[in-house]
Amino acid sequence: MSTYNYVVTAHKPTNVTHSCVGNFTGPQELNLIIAKCTRIEIHLLTPQGLQPMLDVPIYGRIATLELFRPHGETQDLLFIATERYKFCVLQWDADTNEVITRAMGDVSDRIGRPTDNGQIGIIDPDCRLIGLHLYDGLFKVIPFDNKGQLKEAFNIRLEELQVLDIKFLYGCPKPTIVVLYQDNKDARHVKTYEVSLKDKDFVEGPWSQNNLDNGADLLIPVPPPFCGVLIIGEETIVYCSASAFKAIPIRPSITRAYGRVDADGSRYLLGDHSGLLHLLVIAHEKEKVTGLKIELLGETSIASTISYLDNAFVYVGSSYGDSQLIKLNLQPDAKGSYVEVLERYVNLGPIVDFCVVDLERQGQGQVVTCSGAFKDGSLRIVRNGIGINEQASVELQGIKGMWSLRSATDDLYDTFLVVSFISETRILAMNLEDELEETEIEGFCSQVQTLFCHDAVHNQLVQVTSSSVRLVSSTSRELRHEWHAPADYSINVATANATQVLLATRGGHLVYLEIGDGVLVEKKHAQLKYDISCLDINPIGENPNFSNLAAVGMWTDISVRIFSLPDLNLITEEHLGGEIIPRSVLLCAFEGIPYLLCALGDGHLLNFLLNTTTGGLTDRKKVSLGTQPITLRTFSSKNTTHVFAASDRPTVIYSSNKKLLYSNVNLKEVSHMCPFNSAAFPDSLAIAKEGELTIGTIDDIQKLHIRSIPLGEHARRICHQEQSRTFAICSLKYNQSSTEDSEMHFIRLLDDQTFDFISTYSLDQFEYGCSILNCSFSDDSNAYYCVGTAYVMPEENEPTKGRILVFMVEDGKLQLVAEKETKGAVYSLNAFNGKLLAAINQKIQLYKWMLRDDGTRELQSECGHHGHILALYVQTRGDFIVVGDLMKSISLLIYKHEEGAIEERARDYNANWMSAVEILDDDIYLGAENNYNLFTVRKNSEGATDEERGRLEVVGEYHLGEFVNRFRHGSLVMRLPDSDVGQIPTIIFGTVNGVIGVIASLPQDQYVFMEKLQTNLRKVIKGVGGLSHEQWRSFYSEKKTVDSRNFLDGDLIESFLDLGRTRMEEISKTMNVSVEELMKRVEELTRLH
Amino acid sequence: MGSWSVGNWPSFDPHNFSQLRPNDPSAPSKKTPITYHPTHERTIPPPDQVISSEAKNILLRQLYQRSDEKLRPKRAASENLAPEQESKHPRASGASSSDLLP
Repeated sequence: MSTYNYVVTAHKPTNVTHSCVGNFTGPQELNLIIAKCTRIEIHLLTPQGLQPMLDVPIYGRIATLELFRPHGETQDLLFIATERYKFCVLQWDADTNEVITRAMGDVSDRIGRPTDNGQIGIIDPDCRLIGLHLYDGLFKVIPFDNKGQLKEAFNIRLEELQVLDIKFLYGCPKPTIVVLYQDNKDARHVKTYEVSLKDKDFVEGPWSQNNLDNGADLLIPVPPPFCGVLIIGEETIVYCSASAFKAIPIRPSITRAYGRVDADGSRYLLGDHSGLLHLLVIAHEKEKVTGLKIELLGETSIASTISYLDNAFVYVGSSYGDSQLIKLNLQPDAKGSYVEVLERYVNLGPIVDFCVVDLERQGQGQVVTCSGAFKDGSLRIVRNGIGINEQASVELQGIKGMWSLRSATDDLYDTFLVVSFISETRILAMNLEDELEETEIEGFCSQVQTLFCHDAVHNQLVQVTSSSVRLVSSTSRELRHEWHAPADYSINVATANATQVLLATRGGHLVYLEIGDGVLVEKKHAQLKYDISCLDINPIGENPNFSNLAAVGMWTDISVRIFSLPDLNLITEEHLGGEIIPRSVLLCAFEGIPYLLCALGDGHLLNFLLNTTTGGLTDRKKVSLGTQPITLRTFSSKNTTHVFAASDRPTVIYSSNKKLLYSNVNLKEVSHMCPFNSAAFPDSLAIAKEGELTIGTIDDIQKLHIRSIPLGEHARRICHQEQSRTFAICSLKYNQSSTEDSEMHFIRLLDDQTFDFISTYSLDQFEYGCSILNCSFSDDSNAYYCVGTAYVMPEENEPTKGRILVFMVEDGKLQLVAEKETKGAVYSLNAFNGKLLAAINQKIQLYKWMLRDDGTRELQSECGHHGHILALYVQTRGDFIVVGDLMKSISLLIYKHEEGAIEERARDYNANWMSAVEILDDDIYLGAENNYNLFTVRKNSEGATDEERGRLEVVGEYHLGEFVNRFRHGSLVMRLPDSDVGQIPTIIFGTVNGVIGVIASLPQDQYVFMEKLQTNLRKVIKGVGGLSHEQWRSFYSEKKTVDSRNFLDGDLIESFLDLGRTRMEEISKTMNVSVEELMKRVEELTRLH
Repeated sequence: MGSWSVGNWPSFDPHNFSQLRPNDPSAPSKKTPITYHPTHERTIPPPDQVISSEAKNILLRQLYQRSDEKLRPKRAASENLAPEQESKHPRASGASSSDLLP
């Protein structure tokens, strides 16, 4: 049963909704602060550019973000109001680098109609009050006292009911607002009011202006010396103040965002709906406004927010495309643009649809999203884990080890690749044709297995075999010296660096050698109680050629020991516990922090912080990487050292913000890996896997990889067809001409490797693509793309006509093989019992795929079911049909074969306006609705009465805070059937803010455990701004607010891993579970995404 | 093209962005900030800064205000700093409160 669900973010929101610039983190520091719906990001302006400082989760959807500075303060405070009527004032405490809460509160009213045009929150420029317009007809005031403290809030009645914008005017003796509103004849006006704090009421303001542009939507208050306000319309821009009125016509456009450039308010950047950036200039003579001028600067992403930063650099935040850092050049480029895009910040939002496919056929899901809108529409391929881009490969069975060697100590590139087998060693090298061919290093012993190889100082190479250590000249390739193990003491394991060799023989003997010019010197010998299983002397100190420490893993007592070098004294002994021996140890440093990694024979990895002076091991952590023994090796990519853990579940270990992270490598099984940086294959890795040696380069080291395919049009539906290796999308393109805006709708076929458009079918005028499906029918094995459409006529409230189009892909072309007219919009299509199930307006309709006499095919209506407002989302399982309705929540239908009929079995009687549905299992269905909640309902087959059986019982409720457009079964990570997480079913969701999330159905005992952890974490991890996690996650709609149940917040639970040791121990104590166990269990969950 | 207004961009610190090495614009920026998880006690503001709304509704508040004004001794008016506005105001609020009545 999928009752217990764990919700976690795989890709955080990227839709930038607000931004502002000010001195937040220090009086001299200039910050850019960005809101991404439920998160804020604090950046610092530096000579190198924007430096990200902090990503701050907010327990609410941000409605207002404003920086302000009360009198007497030296730096700015941040005001945030959330859509659920909470607000907070945040301050940066530079001493502790913490965000502290200056004030917070609840500004909700029991009675009141939430505003249609969004919430407005504004701060008086003289810091006398904060104004909020949250409900129609009310203006809420939070006054400041003269010390900058907030006082009790109160409401003022606002006569204007259809408010479009409110701003404070500058330079007024009394706090004064200007209100842009629409009257009941749809005409737009502005009006000013003074706020009388004493009387808690409005007083008529100094001026008003009637009959503005019908598209006037935005007010820009102008600071002194000009004061007044700019009113931005669709065809005009007006400057208005008590003493002046200036207007200019503009090219018809909708201004989405503005950013003030100059402190005196003489220039503004305006971003419009088509991504054009204009500069608006207030022309003036001695503080007197003489007119307005506007100039086109160039094109950016469609802006939702614009912040002028410094020195001609501007941040453009976008909801519909990638956000950008742009520079305004002094001279236009060849295309007449002053805009230069310098950086791009990925935004997946709005994710309107997506599909999960395995394009590389590696058993791992990739998500392909329909992202962005208008001209910024794109497909994004989102893949978890690190890919290896294969350059060359040869079949080679039985590889036991690999090392790369240079032909001279100072060489930049590796020349040789030593490959060891059970009874021989082969040397590969790049020849002049840049091909890998077999060669010889005469001084090496090639008739036996090599245990270890390394480059050594003085143009030498070291080879360790079971009987000896050979020192070989890398230039002449001849043996220069050899150290022999005593008879009967064969060498079991060995390691080396440029100047040192450490080896262990049978019987627990540890021998330490140093490498000189043509000589190997045995420096030290130690006899240990047990045999040695693994060792390492990777230098992590200041000398890159010499290590002061040696790490040794032991059989029998299952321990790791740290020895000092060169004296080989035992300085630390750490028992690992359990019965699994360490198979690989590695000394390494990430971001300057030294660690000891220790991999066990069962796929677990332990890591410790290493004190390089004392050899002390602290902060032990354990993670499960795979199920087979792991071999650890370091490698470099982009000048950073990472660790490759070769096993049945190859993993790259890296560090970000001083935290170790584990990212899957997208290969099935890797037995050995060594870096191989040759001239022909720079920065490559040699990888031994499944009887094959592969040379390949590695992706950037990060968890999620996102590839963008810009379309220049808006993709709204997508699906993949395995047989033709294509994607099909429904898309629309906006054509803007000076006379009229029009849009054209297409069905496009894309190659699934190149993502090129290979075929296009244009829909009729007014015809929208609403749904798309890849399916085949009974008695017809061909794969078809079925497309559902609607004719959206301007005069109709709901479409009354649509089509179902059936396409086949032939020679890379979309061939229309059948079409069927429908009596409404085909909102959803599903393959169902070898037939086609369509949701058409309020009806569910089943079509058979019939063979005509002439051999052609047609869709023939079989049966249907009425009784929905609009059946928007449909999922099926066996004979069951789950329908998500526009406003009547979820209902369950059943198809009766014998009767050829579809009947309603049960429904949820709540009035949820649905945005997506999915079937978790036979009995539990998942829904998302338009108040950003998730819920699950259960079929009650065992109910005693018809009434009970006819009711879908709500079993889970949760406030996600995101608008979900699509659920899909699938996983972003490769699932190992024998691992614990491999058994957990998952669903992926995509949202308007660009979030990709995972919902995992946990076993009950694991759920109960994690719920307890979540409860404890709520006490330790505080909500920023004093906002409560419990309230944030409560199911919230206009009708009810109830505590979340049967859903867990994975983001909170996984933040356990970011806590300091003392906080972890606090939780460990209250839960009576060891820190190590807690970390391991949480780490396991992080591997779900 | 007249670039009469393009340029002379404000500068707060001339060093900002001076050493910016732009990414390949086709490769998005990958710098990610640390996620903040506060564990300190100062996420809760001082008790007097937990703000709530006045419970009284607007009509009642205005009725009380008016009755206060009626009860106020006459000499208080001369102490008022803005007598002109004060005398205007009750009329305006009176009109609006009557709108609220059924």
